[in-house]
Amino acid sequence: MKFSIVIHGAPWSSNASLSALRFAEAVLEGGHEIVRLFFYQDGASNGSSLCVPPQDEIDIPAQWQVLIKQHEIDAVVCAASALKRGILDEAEADRYEKSASNLLPGFAVSGLGQLIDAAGQSDRVVSFVL
Amino acid sequence: MTSSTKFHSPQSYLIIARCSPYGSQQARAALDIALTAAAFEQPISVVFMDAGVLQLLKDQQADAGEMKNIGKIITALKLYAVENIMVHQEAVDKYDLDPTEFVEAVEVVTSADIKSLIAGADQVMVF
Repeated sequence: MKFSIVIHGAPWSSNASLSALRFAEAVLEGGHEIVRLFFYQDGASNGSSLCVPPQDEIDIPAQWQVLIKQHEIDAVVCAASALKRGILDEAEADRYEKSASNLLPGFAVSGLGQLIDAAGQSDRVVSFVL
Repeated sequence: MTSSTKFHSPQSYLIIARCSPYGSQQARAALDIALTAAAFEQPISVVFMDAGVLQLLKDQQADAGEMKNIGKIITALKLYAVENIMVHQEAVDKYDLDPTEFVEAVEVVTSADIKSLIAGADQVMVF
């Protein structure tokens, strides 16, 4: 089955992101396909390369990055959500003349249209809300 | 951005809006998805339930909260061909509202109606 997964929560603000991460792993272990991960609203913060959780806590963005890289998953961070939360790729940092960019490799910034596009190619869209 | 992707077929969306207009970003997030799906010419229904019914009220003083007016965005839905805008009867009753107080003419639906809407939609998104 083809899944798209929508992540609404920031890494440590709720269980949304971690649950979505474990769900994504289970989808792949079950032999299914992930069409796209879509990080929406606070979920955009999962794309930050600057999170430094305590050593005895799970590093959720890093685990997303590993999963995305291992399985070459299409991972999109909603542009409007990301920009206002200070999650910028190099192009956006340049465009808005910000001092740094911080989007994790493997994530791409794009529009909400990518969610509708993903839904159009998926059997199921599963949202992890707060 | 992948430009060569093809849709299986048009997907019908049911967006369920359950949050009050200004307590969180949820109301705005739901409407943004409705408008985007509309731009892709997908069939969309929006149902307002629970505190989400408050999004429909006329004369929202959004400026006072330094937010964008959710009622105005709902008015825009019809301009973007989102025709099926509904409200849950229970929520209307619970908040003691009169549908004439709403920004748009909306269809009042029962829990049973919502059940069949959920069963009939390809994609259900709850905010």
